[in-house]
Amino acid sequence: MRALLIALALLAPPALSQTKDHLAEKDGLRVLHAWTPAAAKGTEALIYLEVENTSPAPTTLTGGNAMGQPLDLVGFSYGAAGEDWTILPGLPVPAGADLHLEPEVLALRWTDLPADLAEGGDLRIDVHLGPHALPVAVEIGAADATGHSHAGHGH
Amino acid sequence: MPDLWASLSPIMQDILLALLLIAPGLVTGAVVLRGLRPLPLVGAMLRRFFWVNLLFVGLITVSVGIGVGLLAQERGLRQGTARAAEKFDLIVAAPGSEVTAMLAAVYLQTSDMALVTGAQYAEFAQAEGVAFAAPIAFGDSYLGVPVVGTTTDFVTHLAGPLPSGRPFATPTEAVAGAYAPVAVGDSFTPAHGHGPASEDDAHSGFAYTVTGVMAPTGSPWDRAILVPVEGVWAVHGLSTGHPPGDTRIGPPFVPELMPGTPAVLVRATELWGNYALKSQFTRADLMAFFPGTVLSQLHGLMRDVRSAMSVMAVLTQVLVTLSVLVGLVILVRLIARSLALLRAVGAPLRFVFAVVWAYSAALIVSGAGLGLAFGWVAARGISALVTARTDVLVTASLSWPEAHLVAGFVSLTLLLALLPGWLAVRRPLLSDLRN
Repeated sequence: MRALLIALALLAPPALSQTKDHLAEKDGLRVLHAWTPAAAKGTEALIYLEVENTSPAPTTLTGGNAMGQPLDLVGFSYGAAGEDWTILPGLPVPAGADLHLEPEVLALRWTDLPADLAEGGDLRIDVHLGPHALPVAVEIGAADATGHSHAGHGH
Repeated sequence: MPDLWASLSPIMQDILLALLLIAPGLVTGAVVLRGLRPLPLVGAMLRRFFWVNLLFVGLITVSVGIGVGLLAQERGLRQGTARAAEKFDLIVAAPGSEVTAMLAAVYLQTSDMALVTGAQYAEFAQAEGVAFAAPIAFGDSYLGVPVVGTTTDFVTHLAGPLPSGRPFATPTEAVAGAYAPVAVGDSFTPAHGHGPASEDDAHSGFAYTVTGVMAPTGSPWDRAILVPVEGVWAVHGLSTGHPPGDTRIGPPFVPELMPGTPAVLVRATELWGNYALKSQFTRADLMAFFPGTVLSQLHGLMRDVRSAMSVMAVLTQVLVTLSVLVGLVILVRLIARSLALLRAVGAPLRFVFAVVWAYSAALIVSGAGLGLAFGWVAARGISALVTARTDVLVTASLSWPEAHLVAGFVSLTLLLALLPGWLAVRRPLLSDLRN
């Protein structure tokens, strides 16, 4: 039953993948263009998105969750030892400001995937912004994708 | 199975991969040599055809060495350039090319860049969570090395405490990189610009005195000369960022009196602060970026080239080995009478087969082992050359990828070495005895 639920969650119908689905909004906090590259079960997924704080108050992005598992907010670094992602406690998003989680900079990390993330599917996650948990649809791109299919579009 | 593999430590994965790669060769050897003692005869063949064997081993050595050296060198260059960028947390510059800004600020490959204004600098220098914001103002040189204007915070951050002398304390003092062509106590007049077109006498009448030397950093900054940014501004006839008559150096600068700087290194008090600052200062009139990210993207583009290099290295080695094996087939024809005599006195076909295979294997394994050593020496030599040319410390050393390359090569060629053995035992006994 659990496997069936996971499969259903990962293979949401295409009807959900419409423009409005690229945007989640609550109290002036907007999350847009969430996407992740396809990944295999047991590996980790890095989820990228854009946060806009159109509210008059600052907020903090602290992470999220997917299927009951935590999503860590991680920051990228690169040195002689190679690539590394470090867990961050949270990032402030001042009033009127944007925060972009993008490859090789910032991401939400989901470790130990319970199932494959297949290209073309959708994934439902909650993004934790201050006291809010915004439900967001994440587009699953190709394994070598470098951006959301609607990146740059206004919403 | 993928879960089990993923649960292993990287070193265990490397060891297992090396064993998996070498296993076919070892199993082949165990099966071919089982219950036989062909080594004394193989030793005699190695001595009898010493010069031919030396040539064959030399060919394999060079081909393996080139492959190993190239792989080690590519990794060393990647690590060296990444190490040189490690101290550059966040660079803020005027909007433009991140690659150009990174090459200029981190690797001192200077180019014309728009300036960050005094007002913009004041904004992020005073932002919450900023430990320091150091201007990086290039444009002058001395004896071919860059003279860069900055602050003492930057000097300490880049190279730690000075092993010799003290940091600059006035606009006319300087700190030399570890391998810069000046020593403590030297005075020099900077040239305006870089390279052959630089103007040596543009700043005549102005001189810096070296007060300290930095510890080596493994970056192009080791050959640079660092001066107070106020000195750079003053020598160009600009205001110094401080009220007239104020000779102190370093921030805070008066925004209206600060002439601007091509790039600024920003360091946050907390790690997460760098990401917040990048987000805060990525906007229409400013560009904030992590050099590590830009470098990682550049190295990512080279990943396909690296894969192609690995395949080409293996192909080259296999082709060389095939030519050696063809040579061995010819050699086997030359010693066909000896092998026929061996069979005539009662040696089983399997023994003759084992002798020829073991002879080939001895050449392949010797060549591969020497190739590994040759590759290491070649990588060290090329590293020294690249370091001298780029000032980026490149230290190439052998690692698991080279071990995997050699293990795969040895295994494959030991399998190919079955061919001369098979051809040797298929030869007609009587005609070989008559000839």
